[in-house]
Parts: sequence; C-alpha cells; structure tokens
Amino acid sequence: MSEVQLVDVSLRDGNQSLWGATGLRTAHILQIAPVLNRIGFRALDYCSSTAMGVAVRTHREDPWQRIRLTRAAMPDTPLQFIGTGFRFISWERAHPDVMRLVYQRLVAAGISRFVVLDPTHDMSAVLATARMIRQAGGTEIIAALTYTISAVHDDPFYAGIAGQAAASRDIDRLYVKDPAGLLTPERARTLIPAIRARLAGKALELHAHGTIGLSPLVYLAAPDLGVSVLQVACGALADGSSLPDALRTVANLRELGHTVNVDDRLLARAARYFDLLAAAEGLPSGRPRPYDAAFTRHQLAGGVLTTLRRQLAELGLEDRFEAVIEEVTQVRAELGYPIMVTPFPQMVMGQALSNVISGARYSVVPDQVIRYVLGSFGKPTADVEPWVLDRILDRPRARELAAEPPPPSVAELRQRLPRGTTDEELLLRFGMPGEEVDAMLAAAPAARHYHPELQPILRLLRELGSRPPAQRLVLDKPGFRLSLTGGGDGARS
Amino acid sequence: MFIIRRVLIANRGEIAVRVIGTCQRLGIETVLAVSEADADSVPARLADRTIRLGPAGGGQGVAETYLSVPAVVGAAAAAGADAIHPGYGFLAENPRLARACEAAGIVFIGPGAEVLEAAGDKLAARAHAVAAGLPVLPGGPAELADAGALAERIGYPVLVKAAGGGGGRGLRVVREPGQLGEALAVASAEAQAAFGDPRVYLERYVSPARHVEVQLLGDGQNVIHLGDRDCSVQRRYAKLIEEAPAPLLGETLRVSMRVAAVALGLHLKYRGLGTVEFLVDTQRAAFYFLELNARIQVEHPVTEAVTGLDLVAEQIAIAEGRGLRLSQAGVGFRGHAIECRINAEDPAAGLRPSPGTVTSAVFPAGPGIRVDTHIQAGSAVPPAYDSLLAKLVVSGADRAQALARLRGALARCQIGGVATTLPLLSSLVDDMEMAAGGVDAGWLERRLG
Repeated sequence: MSEVQLVDVSLRDGNQSLWGATGLRTAHILQIAPVLNRIGFRALDYCSSTAMGVAVRTHREDPWQRIRLTRAAMPDTPLQFIGTGFRFISWERAHPDVMRLVYQRLVAAGISRFVVLDPTHDMSAVLATARMIRQAGGTEIIAALTYTISAVHDDPFYAGIAGQAAASRDIDRLYVKDPAGLLTPERARTLIPAIRARLAGKALELHAHGTIGLSPLVYLAAPDLGVSVLQVACGALADGSSLPDALRTVANLRELGHTVNVDDRLLARAARYFDLLAAAEGLPSGRPRPYDAAFTRHQLAGGVLTTLRRQLAELGLEDRFEAVIEEVTQVRAELGYPIMVTPFPQMVMGQALSNVISGARYSVVPDQVIRYVLGSFGKPTADVEPWVLDRILDRPRARELAAEPPPPSVAELRQRLPRGTTDEELLLRFGMPGEEVDAMLAAAPAARHYHPELQPILRLLRELGSRPPAQRLVLDKPGFRLSLTGGGDGARS
Repeated sequence: MFIIRRVLIANRGEIAVRVIGTCQRLGIETVLAVSEADADSVPARLADRTIRLGPAGGGQGVAETYLSVPAVVGAAAAAGADAIHPGYGFLAENPRLARACEAAGIVFIGPGAEVLEAAGDKLAARAHAVAAGLPVLPGGPAELADAGALAERIGYPVLVKAAGGGGGRGLRVVREPGQLGEALAVASAEAQAAFGDPRVYLERYVSPARHVEVQLLGDGQNVIHLGDRDCSVQRRYAKLIEEAPAPLLGETLRVSMRVAAVALGLHLKYRGLGTVEFLVDTQRAAFYFLELNARIQVEHPVTEAVTGLDLVAEQIAIAEGRGLRLSQAGVGFRGHAIECRINAEDPAAGLRPSPGTVTSAVFPAGPGIRVDTHIQAGSAVPPAYDSLLAKLVVSGADRAQALARLRGALARCQIGGVATTLPLLSSLVDDMEMAAGGVDAGWLERRLG
C-alpha cells in the first residue's frame, strides 16, 4: 500500500481533450483557482502554447496575465506548462533564442513545473530543452515518455529513453504519457517496472487518457508498480478522451488500501463547479468510454475519424473509409512510427487520404509530411522507409522547404516591432498573426469572476436588453407567475 | 506556512456574512459560532455549519456567548476549526482570545496578543506612536492630583479619554477648569464600566477636525498602506458615512499620514490588517495620531472598492504565514467609494435603536453598488446587538459619480418593520456641504441640532 499524489489536468488537458481547448476563459479559471489550490494536488497541468494562442484568438484575453492572476489566486500548487521546446503557438519551428525567452517569461509569470515532450522521443532535444528551462528558473522538469503501440515502441525502447532522461540533472521526474489511452494493465506490469529500473530513484507519474476505457484500470495497477503520481481531471472535464475522474480514482485507490491526501470536500466542489460550468456554457461532459478494439490498430482519435468521414462524404468516397484506415496503419509504419499525438495524426491521415484518393502512393505529399521527413519536428523514432524518403524528398517542393530561411532570433523579431514592445507581446506576435494580437490588446481586460448558476439569468437579461423595451413581461408556469409591468417612462419595472 | 481549512467565525451580522463569502470563495469551510438568538440568522444559513455558543441551558447574554473567550475557543476546538476569524467588535481586539487561541493551537486571524495589548491600551498606543515619530496631541495620563496642571499646560478645551478602550465611551470635552474634576470622575466611572479599566488621560480638544484613517496591512516584517478613508460623518463618535479616498485632503498631508501610519506599523512589526486613526486639524493642515484599530473595520469595503482587493482574503493569507503578497507599488487606487451605514435607529427619535422584525428588505443592485447585509424579510433585529442592518457601498470613477449613484441607490433601498437611518442618509447625501466634501467631525451633530 502506498501514498499516491494527484496532478489535476482539468484546466489544460481536460479543456483540450473535451472542449477543443476553447472552453475555459480567464474568469472560469480564476473563480475556481483558490479551491483547486487547497485540494492538495501535487501540481496542475495548466497551460501550453496552444492554450495561450486560444486565449488570444478565441477569447481576446491576455494569456500572460491569465497565468499571473492564476498564480496569485493559487500560490501553493505548482502550475505546469507542457511543450516540445521547439515551437511557440505557431507550428513553425522557433529559434532557440525565442524558446529561451518563452521559458523565462513563463517562469516570471508564475509557471514552475514544465513537461518536455518530444513527439519523436529525440532525447538529445529533450535534454537541451530541459537545460534551457532550468536556466530560465524552472524548478520541476518532467520528461514525457509518450506511449504508443508499434513495432519499435517496446519495453526496452522506453527503458532506454527513460535511462537517458533520468541521467540528466535537468530532469527531475518522468511520466508515462498515454495520449491515446492504449496502455493496458497487462502491458503496464512489464513497461513500468522496465522504466523504473532505469530511473535511479527519480519519481514516475502516469497520465493516461480514457479514450477506450482502459485508463481507470491501469490506474488501479500503477501504485503497486511504483507510480507515485496519477494524473486526473475533475467533473465534466474528466473521462471520455480526457483523463480518469479524480473522485472515482481517489475512491478506488482508497478501496485498494492506498493513501490519497486530498480534501474530499473541495475535490467534490471543484467537480461540481466544472459540471455547472459545462451545463451553463453548453459544453459536453466527459463520459466513460467503451472499449474499441480497432482503435488500438489505427490510433485515430474520434475527432480525426469524424473529420475523415466528412471529407470522404464530400468527395463521394464514403466507401473508401476502411481503405483509408488501412492506409493510415501502413503510412505510419513507413514514416517511422510517429506517435499519434498532435500534429502527427493529422499528418498521417492527410498522407493516407492523398494516397488513397490519388491512387499512386506518395504522388501528392502535404508540406507537413515533407517537414517531418526533413526533421523539422525532430528525428523520427525509427527510420523512414528508404523508398518513401526518396519519393518525398525528390520533388521541387521538398527542396524549397529545405532551403527555407532559419527562424528569426529574438533580436531579429525585435527589429520588426516598435520600440517598447514587451517581451510577452513580442512572443505573441511571433506565434500569431499580428491582427489577432492587436484585437486582444484592444479588448477590455478579461473578467475575473464567473458564477455558472448566474449564467442563465444573465443570458435572459442580455436578451431582454437587446430587444425593444416591453411594457410587460410575464413568466407563467404551473404554480408560479411572475409579472413585471413597465412604469410611465419605462425606467422602472 | 499553514493552510487554513476550517475557520470558526466568532461574530454575527453583516461581518459574519462578509467573512463567510470570502472563505467559501477560497474553499475554506466555515463554522459560524451563534448565540441562540442568531441560530436562524442569514449568516447561520450561509455558513457550512453552525455551532452554539455558551453553556448548555445557561445564559445567552453577550457575555456568555460572543464575549466569552472560553466559549469561543471551546466552540472552535469542538468544531475542529484550525482558525478563528473574530470579525470586528466583540473579542476582535482582545489579547486574551489571541493567547487562548495560541494555547489551543488555533490560528487567530489578527495581530499577536502583544500588538493587541499595545493597541488596546490607548496610552500605550500613544507612547508607541511617539516612539515611531508620529505627531500626537499634547496630553498625557490624568492623575487626579496633577490633572489640573496638565490641562492648563495643554490649554482648554481638553478631552478626557479612557485608556482602556474607544467607541466614544469614557469621553468628555472639558471647556473650563471648573468642569475638569467632575468630567474626570464621570469618564473614569464610564471607563471602568465599559472596559474594566478606570484610567483616563487628557488630550487637547481640536475643533473643527476631521477623522481620517489609513488602512495598514503587514506581515510582521513588511508593512504597506492601502490608502485612506474619511470617517468624519459621525454622531457621538459613531460613524455613519465613510469614504475613500478622503476628499479635499492636500497631497502633502495625505502622503504624510500614509507614511506615518506605515512607520507605526513597522515600529510595531504589525502583522495583519489594521487601521491608524488620525485627527486632522483642518485649520492648521496638521494631523495627530488618535488610535490604532487592530482588526478589520466596518468601513473596509470602501478601501476594497478603490483598491480591488479582498481584505478578508489578505487577512487569511497573512494568518497562514504567507507574507505580504503585495508591494506598495502594486497597490493601485481607482475611483472613489462611499459607504452608508443603514442602522435600525430612528432618526425621528434622536437615532434611538429600533429593534424588531424586518418585514421587507429591498436593496439596489447595479454597476458600482455593493450591499453587505445580513438582513432579509423576516430577520430579527434583537435589542442585545448593534443596530447595523446593512452597508450600502457605492463607487464611481470619481466622487461626483459615486455620490450620484449613491443618491439613486439610497432611493431604491426599502426596509420595512423597523425604523432605519435611510431617511437621514438620503438627506445627508443631498446636502451641499456633503457634496462639496471634507466636512468635519462635528458637522453631523450640528446639522442634527
């Protein structure tokens, strides 16, 4: 029996998995932040550059200010930023100078815990990023071991990269990140001990999505295998393609005799808050998902499959769905088994679709695939099939992309911007179209309070306010009648 | 650092509602200590739990409940609370409660017992103010034998004040030597009755004067101010209208008072929320230390309105040992705020308390309007407790906007069943002198006649 700590992912991964990263605004977060602070979570998965971009683009809110305000509202629980170390908001590769500034500003704003995630498991890239984060002041740096099923991703593979990461002073702990929820309890029983044997005592966390319903079971096995932290989510932001529900996980762990030191009352309150928020904003609640055997083969998340069906229908090619799925499996192998986390599912799917539609494999190759093969996203985990490599690189577009100028440094970016532009604004302008940053700066500061229970009445009042003045408003239902009558000048009612 | 998870609120009325609100927002469980009379009050219904104060089947007077240190600490221990918030009044500044908390391993949300003792003894507070370099009015302890000589040195009129407490009790203005002996005797007897301490002292009586105070926040090492408030609209030393910032105060004077208040806070190594009260001699543009209130003030919402801070949350953060979360430069001031105290007092009967049952209560809402209250239709207003029903706090971009909003907001307040200060407040905010700002502490008494 052991003590298990929890990291809550509701605000970042929950929001991203279930609400397309667009559900939560600054006020939503600040309202519940003091409560989350007191639950006893080891840390909160809080932010990514994608989430920062959404704050600007969708909500016209300053993501840096959001971090500062959250930090002030929850001073005790570390806030985590997850990133690859080579890009910021935009999919373009960023200059190391720019990434250094990103990490410096994140630390200054209140982020202390960082996950370094290299989608191709290029550990030299991971360690270089970790070094950069440490120099910027990051106090806890976690290397991600992203789990997938393939011919190359066996236990020795993960043990090997875990050993490389754990040997670095810049990596404080590691976690098994299972973005597609593929890990079974059986595989966990071999994988986790193999990894732990190479960690030299560093802690191991587990982060498994519930995409096909496996993760709650894996979480029951994990503490006995030496996992000290489980990552969970609260209320409507748990389950489904998000992470296991915190309340249920705590109850299950205690049932098995483990100790979980969290404030149950506040945990229930946080869950209830996200439930109410989902209802008030019309956002879906995560639900436990059934097992899906085919998913382990293609590893395409529901959203990607839905998009594929729509695209095929638009082309009148609905009958090719299975063929495309088969092609996905093959393309993934030929490209060296990229792990199916953003941006790779979209990339593999795009290539598979082209191959099926054109009838000639790799006759059409999207830019993203060319960049992948050129190493823009890091070194592929396994070698790309030689004939596929030749096919992709032997085209004018590949030479154009290979000759692209290197990304701009901070000094070069600064030259393009007016004097006095802050570092935070410079980084946003690097990662996003200028007009979106302009619109954010022109908008009023983000609201800081949010009460889900008030939203229906506020919506009603806004609706009433947007209509021509009515002399009489009547609400009539069985056992209840409310009648408001306008005064002489319409000012009183 | 210690994270407070369950707090016992040892108070009642609007301040109990106020503290419950912040605790619930922060995720701190609230246990409200209640007397029998308050068992069904609004704060009792808002709190997560309530616990009865006082002996089972025993007395339910204030002395056995809200003023009983053993009852309050016993309730906190029984409820498993790890902290006590005392609100204002009752035991808020009682060093015995702070000490009893310490002995019971409960966090007292307020300054330490030594500071409470220094602030509670007005003569000690005056000595600390002098030591910290603050100006005080000429005066000193009034030993009967040489009180006459001291009064002569100060110059008439003089004010006789109680060393053991404030709130207007034990206060007498003496305008000529012949009145001194009797004033000392009456004041001393009043002080003995109110505070159990017959000591009185003399200070020069200044009139016209304004009552301006500076809000302090300290963590025992660092002390900052959160701006000033004017509380000159008062009757018999009971404040009725307060505002922030103090209007028509020269910038030099304002800055000097803020600096002086912080100096006193640093001298005392002040930890928590406190208020330094000053008397401002309007004719000489001079200010003098009056007293230090080592608790949250009734009028704290006007400071919250202009700073955007939650002062109860700051109190809790300090009590958790976090250290100041704000720097002086990080405290911004925006706009103007005015608070009106709506009391169950009858303006037609010399503001006599008007206990009873509230039959209807309608409060305004809107931009810049905040109402702190524990009253709704059906609420009892027992005679045993103070008569504050609600605080209407209105803010605006400037004083003119705040006043305009206040007039509208007051007009929309309706409280039935008990007589209230609402009509008086409405007439006061319509007054030309009030509109001009900067009235002195005698203004309301003169106006009432």
